[in-house]
Amino acid sequence: MAEKRKSLIKIKPKKYKDGEIVKVSFMVMHPMDTGMGKDKKTKKIIPAKYINSVKFNYNGKEITNMTVWESLSVNPVFTTYMKINGKGTLSVTYTDNTGEVNEKSKKIKPKG
Amino acid sequence: MQRRDFFKKLGTVAAIAAVATPTFSFAAEAKPTGPNAMSFKTAVDAITGGKAPKTSTLIKLKVPEIAENGAVVPVTVNVDSPMTADDYVKAIHILSGKNSNARCIDVNLTPANGKAMFSTRIKLGGTQEVTALVEMSNGQFLIASQSVKVTIGGCG
Repeated sequence: MAEKRKSLIKIKPKKYKDGEIVKVSFMVMHPMDTGMGKDKKTKKIIPAKYINSVKFNYNGKEITNMTVWESLSVNPVFTTYMKINGKGTLSVTYTDNTGEVNEKSKKIKPKG
Repeated sequence: MQRRDFFKKLGTVAAIAAVATPTFSFAAEAKPTGPNAMSFKTAVDAITGGKAPKTSTLIKLKVPEIAENGAVVPVTVNVDSPMTADDYVKAIHILSGKNSNARCIDVNLTPANGKAMFSTRIKLGGTQEVTALVEMSNGQFLIASQSVKVTIGGCG
């Protein structure tokens, strides 16, 4: 059961040129349960549910891949840099420890 | 029973209850360990494969000294590297000293990143050290750490 998750890819600065190094942030709405916390009402342990891996792909080439563990905060943010290399798409694939796979992509349009 | 005696007894009961309950609840909370519990030392050994990491000034670890909320602690790791095909940062690992699972995130970078920087937000269970372990392309391991004072724990 793949749940629809809100996610966002942000590129800073907004207007960039070919060959420029830009800051890329990926945000996702995710509970990131560690498997240690308790539900305050039912007093039962919430089962672990956290993002396992995140991959940044740019024009089919893997730029960054991350192995994530449960001690990242709720609604995590991943920020890194990227070199713009022509038109294309940046796609972020993220998987869950429960087997959930999602993808988010953004078009890259360098000006000038 | 006299009124005076009654209040004395009531006081002792209340005192016992006040002392006993927090310790009891703490013991109950500490029990469940995470799905992949790992101590800091085993985590470092698993990453480096037995090699001794070197403390370096190339790494700039940016963590707040006092975190008000342990659930959201921003961490930024900057590594001074040219990021060319011959000389680049292969991986950045962010580790915590006392969390149930010491490993927070392992980031594998490539020269296409252009700059060796990574930033995220982590959870910290209490006052502890946050460590950045960096693997360079020549097989060298660099380490930098900073202690963070956490006012409210963020795990569980």
